[in-house]
Amino acid sequence: MSAAPPDNDVLWARGIVKSHQGTPALRGVSLGVREGEVLAVTGPRGSGKSTLLGCLSALLPVDEGEVWFNSSPVHTLGRAGRERLRRDRFGFVGSEPHLVPELTARENVALPLLLAGAGGKAAYTAADEWLERLDIGDLAKVRPERLVQGQRQRIAVARALAPLPPVVFADDPTAPLHRETAEQVLRILTSAARSHQLTLVLATHDPELVRYADRAVALLDGRLTGPATPVPRGIAAPGTAGATAVPAAGR
Amino acid sequence: MFYLRLARGYRVLDLGRWLLTALAGAVVAAFLLRALGRAMSGPADGHDALVRLLWCLPPLAAVAWFAAVAARAVPARRADRITGLTTAGAGAGRIRALIAGEVALACGAGAGLTLLLFLVLRNDIAGPGLADELGMGVALPAAAPVTLLALVPLTAGLAAAGAVRPAETLPGRSGAEPTGFGPWRLALPIGLAVIGLALELIALRPGAAADGRPIQLPAGLGSTSTAALGGWVASAVGLALLTGPLLGWAGRLLAVGRPTPLRLLAGRGLTAQARRLGAPLAVLALALAVVLTTVRYWLGEPGSADVLPAIEAALVLGCTAGAVVVRLAELRTARRGVAEALLRLGAAPRLLFGAVVLRTLMTGTVLLVTGGATAALAAAGLR
Repeated sequence: MSAAPPDNDVLWARGIVKSHQGTPALRGVSLGVREGEVLAVTGPRGSGKSTLLGCLSALLPVDEGEVWFNSSPVHTLGRAGRERLRRDRFGFVGSEPHLVPELTARENVALPLLLAGAGGKAAYTAADEWLERLDIGDLAKVRPERLVQGQRQRIAVARALAPLPPVVFADDPTAPLHRETAEQVLRILTSAARSHQLTLVLATHDPELVRYADRAVALLDGRLTGPATPVPRGIAAPGTAGATAVPAAGR
Repeated sequence: MFYLRLARGYRVLDLGRWLLTALAGAVVAAFLLRALGRAMSGPADGHDALVRLLWCLPPLAAVAWFAAVAARAVPARRADRITGLTTAGAGAGRIRALIAGEVALACGAGAGLTLLLFLVLRNDIAGPGLADELGMGVALPAAAPVTLLALVPLTAGLAAAGAVRPAETLPGRSGAEPTGFGPWRLALPIGLAVIGLALELIALRPGAAADGRPIQLPAGLGSTSTAALGGWVASAVGLALLTGPLLGWAGRLLAVGRPTPLRLLAGRGLTAQARRLGAPLAVLALALAVVLTTVRYWLGEPGSADVLPAIEAALVLGCTAGAVVVRLAELRTARRGVAEALLRLGAAPRLLFGAVVLRTLMTGTVLLVTGGATAALAAAGLR
């Protein structure tokens, strides 16, 4: 029986099972993501964080279980449907920037908008605005190979945020970064999500970074250790307090 | 044994590379042994023997070129293997030696097979038609075939060893490589092409002497004059060197203005690959132009075709085309991450395929221009 998910959950998963060539990665994960929240998924390497984000973001088809986005089923979609959903509704930042090396920073950021069918002028203007907001506006015409990792990761963040997708997934976005840069990238990501009312699903292996989230769940060996718990406000470091607060921008 | 164990993990493309290397090595060895046989059975005239040996150089160079391109592709194509070897403690030098040794082994196997055939045929099996070519009835000095045949794996192995980049054998390399062309890299080919063209035009001007073509080229390449030949060589080299920059400019042209995603990805991709793609494509276009000129002559004058130049042309074309295929496979592997990132963004596979098609069309156009110009200049100057 597949009951429709609760209305206030933008993403809702029930009993997801997923294995990679026989190796079980997820063994029955149920999870609800509320609209506009920052949800942290924590766990050590190999606990299934990336697979969970892959399943939620319509990249990987689930073996068993259900995934719903805005009260419509994702697990029944075909390849083309998942592609469309990823392109039009989801943004993604990985642990590696995965930029297209031959494109400049602004072209990389404009790419998802262009793919979604936006006009060239609108796409490049939006790209320039986002690069400006992330303090890398002067690097717009530089190719990624000439940049340092932190700058590349900021371009990847801009690329994920530029189309203002309802849900942004960040899979350990700070993994290759030094602590200082990592904090900066997370501050940008969370404050941008909050100021634009985007939902952010943030996977991280670093328990300290949970303070950027509203709620947190922990994964261990492909299972959740318990229901999502609110992150105590006392230790939270909301992006609005940071020096790099992101101004609200209309689409 | 180690090479055989490594070879067990090979896929079709790797096996094809191995087989082509062995086959090419075998054919070059056949050319070398034939030159030896003729030298043994013919009169003691050094000139003809030397010319026959020189004829072995183009196929040897073709094999070396293919070996170099193929060896250069191994670290990118088989990154898992290189990582495994590095983890097991093999340094950059050891890995270079392994890759070069594999190429040399393939060439050596082919050459060895040819030597076996040569020895069997010499043993009075071949008819009188082949007796002269094999040097039948003359005692074979053991050092001669061994020295000649060692040349094949040695050349190919050295070319392969020289082509492997030590930095690329390290796992986790950055993968960033220069994409542009320096000013000299642009000025040299343009200058060569212009000077060559001018030389050839001077040699071919209407008022040139009637017997202005004293040089008789072999294998149906016709007769020519020093100026025309020099001019053609200069312009051919210039055009070949210009292929890479032209590809880069073609890519820029594709992505000019405010491009759609298709034009953007195709154009920028072509510009980024121009350096890597330019060299093997230019060599292939040059080889094709020369072979087509020869074939045209053969068709024009019945009875002028010969078996050995035909085999040689096939070998050179096979090796240069193989080099292009290997380089394409290498580039494809290198771009796998980019393709995954684009699919992750929600790009349709059709878009990526369209970009490849557009890129191929543009590359074909550039090659038609450079190869066609080389062939036209050859047809005019070498007659």
